[in-house]
Amino acid sequence: MEIMVILLPLALGLGLAFVFFFIWAVKRGQYDDLETPKHRMLIDEEVKLVNKRKKL
Amino acid sequence: MESCVHCDETILIPYFADHEKEQKGPFCCQGCVTVYEALHQKGLQDYYTVKHDSALFKRRAPVEIRNDTFLYLDGEEFLSEYSYQLSDNQRSMEFYLEGIHCLACLWLIEKLPDFVSGVISSKLNLEKSVVVITINSFGKFSAIASELNKLGYRPHALKRSTEAQKFHRIEERKTLIRIGISGAAAGNIMIYAVSLYGGANEKMGDLFNLLTLILSLPVLTYCAWPFYQSAWVALRNKTLSIDVPISLSLILGAAMGIINVFMGVSENYLDSLSTLVFLLLLSRYFLKTIQEKGLSVSDLSYFYQTDSVLRQKIDDINIYEEIHSRFLNENDILKIRADDFFPADGILLSKETRVNNSLLTGESDPAKLYLGDKLFSGTQNLGADVLMRVTETNHNSRLGKMLKNVENGWGNISKTVDITAHISKYFTAAVILLSVILFTYVYYQFGFEQALIRAVTLLIVTCPCALALSVPLTFNRSLSLAGKNGLIIKNDKTIEKLANTENIFLDKTGTITEGKPRVSNFIIRKVTDSRVEDIILSLEQASRHPVGKALVNYVLPLRANTLNVEDRVEIPGIGVSGYINNKFYEINKNGILENGNIIATFCVKDIIRNDSKKIINRLLADNISVCILSGDSNNFVQELGQNVGIGNHFLFGEMSPEEKFEKIKKSSHSLMVGDGANDALALQVADVGIAVSGAMDISLRASDVYLTVPGLAGVEKSIVLARETMKVVRRNLVLSLIYNFISVVFVFNGVISPLMAAIIMPVSSLTVLVSSVVGTKKMRNLWK
Repeated sequence: MEIMVILLPLALGLGLAFVFFFIWAVKRGQYDDLETPKHRMLIDEEVKLVNKRKKL
Repeated sequence: MESCVHCDETILIPYFADHEKEQKGPFCCQGCVTVYEALHQKGLQDYYTVKHDSALFKRRAPVEIRNDTFLYLDGEEFLSEYSYQLSDNQRSMEFYLEGIHCLACLWLIEKLPDFVSGVISSKLNLEKSVVVITINSFGKFSAIASELNKLGYRPHALKRSTEAQKFHRIEERKTLIRIGISGAAAGNIMIYAVSLYGGANEKMGDLFNLLTLILSLPVLTYCAWPFYQSAWVALRNKTLSIDVPISLSLILGAAMGIINVFMGVSENYLDSLSTLVFLLLLSRYFLKTIQEKGLSVSDLSYFYQTDSVLRQKIDDINIYEEIHSRFLNENDILKIRADDFFPADGILLSKETRVNNSLLTGESDPAKLYLGDKLFSGTQNLGADVLMRVTETNHNSRLGKMLKNVENGWGNISKTVDITAHISKYFTAAVILLSVILFTYVYYQFGFEQALIRAVTLLIVTCPCALALSVPLTFNRSLSLAGKNGLIIKNDKTIEKLANTENIFLDKTGTITEGKPRVSNFIIRKVTDSRVEDIILSLEQASRHPVGKALVNYVLPLRANTLNVEDRVEIPGIGVSGYINNKFYEINKNGILENGNIIATFCVKDIIRNDSKKIINRLLADNISVCILSGDSNNFVQELGQNVGIGNHFLFGEMSPEEKFEKIKKSSHSLMVGDGANDALALQVADVGIAVSGAMDISLRASDVYLTVPGLAGVEKSIVLARETMKVVRRNLVLSLIYNFISVVFVFNGVISPLMAAIIMPVSSLTVLVSSVVGTKKMRNLWK
């Protein structure tokens, strides 16, 4: 049961860390727009590159 | 059928673009061709690559391009009210964009900094179709706006967000934080709870109890704060809401937990209560987001507003400057272009024009106005460009006053029957009565301490969690189901009122009829050299008269071609005439004439939708009375009524907005369907106001439901959906009361334990969750 001395604070510490990370993200406005980012990430980087090459 | 390369709309007459000496296409309209060419000029043809494999986000529509300079966007006055000054040389402004529909739009809009000089960043919110554009000192908003306009996204500048909106955003973030904290805490508590129930040894057990208490304290204080607040408000208003028994459970549970931990007693209900707080917050958050999604559609105050107006300069009457309609003053002289809406009340300074009053008065025939006649904002100029002098602006105009009435009366006349509030009154009373009985009973048998513990336990375990969960969940599901199918319902209370509908009042346009005049009975009397269809298209192409437009729409699918017309003359109220191949052609009320002889005749009518009669019959069979209230002539309404099977004494023609208001005020459980500003008062006073697609901003604000698809089908479906939803709500109520009854029986027998509570609470929540998601068979088949 000595292992609990390490495990308990570890579990609590991890949980707490994530809660603070979440609060930080919310305050930064990461959750304000839940729709656009999931579409934005689908745009291929490549399209942009091809475009730039054409310009040159 | 072919579809347009740009917008994927089905093509009636194909248009082609000349691109690199090659014909590209087909396109559905000139607007799409223009955008296609503009994209290629700027080297943005990848738009089509992105579009090719992206899912549709919103319904696409052909591009309608209007030439605007957007110069008003650069005015000092305008910038100070609409833009944000970020730093010395950076400004940002928000625009609502028309026509945003897919991933390619997102790609294109966010590429703005690459092809418009002075743009630093451009971020689009797909869901709201709102873009935030930041510029440096080289950028000009007018240039960006006309660029966007050229690409087919007509921009409307949005006012800077108010204090209320900022407050709202902060509140929303707080809710998310509450959900996050309660979720994390409840999850961790559960770990300790399992080991406690599994029989942790005494030393560990005490430690786990203490940890449970520490973790649950923020949940039962900070996270549960909204429940306490709303319970307190209810108590102060001397009523009971569902939050009262919830708060009672939470507070007593917390108190008992603290006392027990320090007394060394392991019994506490903190684990169940923390989970409950998390679930409740979550379900309320979902309901709120879905309601706001609906609201934001009807809150688009810029929807039908004319943004830019041409104002005559005071020092030079030949120069017109473009300003935003918001900054008009009395006595300004304005130039109103053809097809534009009048931005303010005023007096006509030109000789004559025709005006479409239908949105303001409900009358569908255009009115002819002469020099000195009064003009009202919200009506549309159908004639050529005219001059007007402004007499009343914004809030003082007739439309503005109506709007004010609608806004002031908001919520005043609501006769809601909040089913949860109703139930929780009896529920709380019953629970308190039961605990008093239990207390006295146990007191005489086992003494004070046991009596207190059991009474408090009863209050904790009867926490109406399933009840509080199930109602928002059920409404949430129905609202999103409706939203997906084009019925935007403002909130859960609307559903309750919809289910009780007994009297339906219909405005004619957009519901029973198509709302657009159509050509019927087209008969060719004599065969001529040129095809009659070609003659009609050539003569009427430039016409803005409703009949002319109807004729053009009629001949376009018949593959009509344009011929060369000489000396074309359009006389308002009479018709058009002109020479084609040296023959004189006229189109007037008699028909189409060649050198004075009739060659074809036609009728133009606002025709009745195919499904109108069927749906009205079904509603009547369901014991719902259906009335027509219209601004049109009595004769017209009588004929319409006969055609759809509504009895004579349910037909009312020549109704003024005030008469409609009175009529509806007198009836109970009323539902009004309308679209124009003339319906706004009626929509508002009705228990449920339904605005149909194409409705004016003011009627949108006054209504509770917005149908994006015109026609009666949506009205019928929303009633059916509401009734089915209430069935599910009632079913859930019964289910959760059964679970509560079980726990009461346990407490009375003194066999309840925290473990039982930890099982019963989630199981009951799960049952109502499943019941809400499954809904009813009828509900599932509504859109199949």
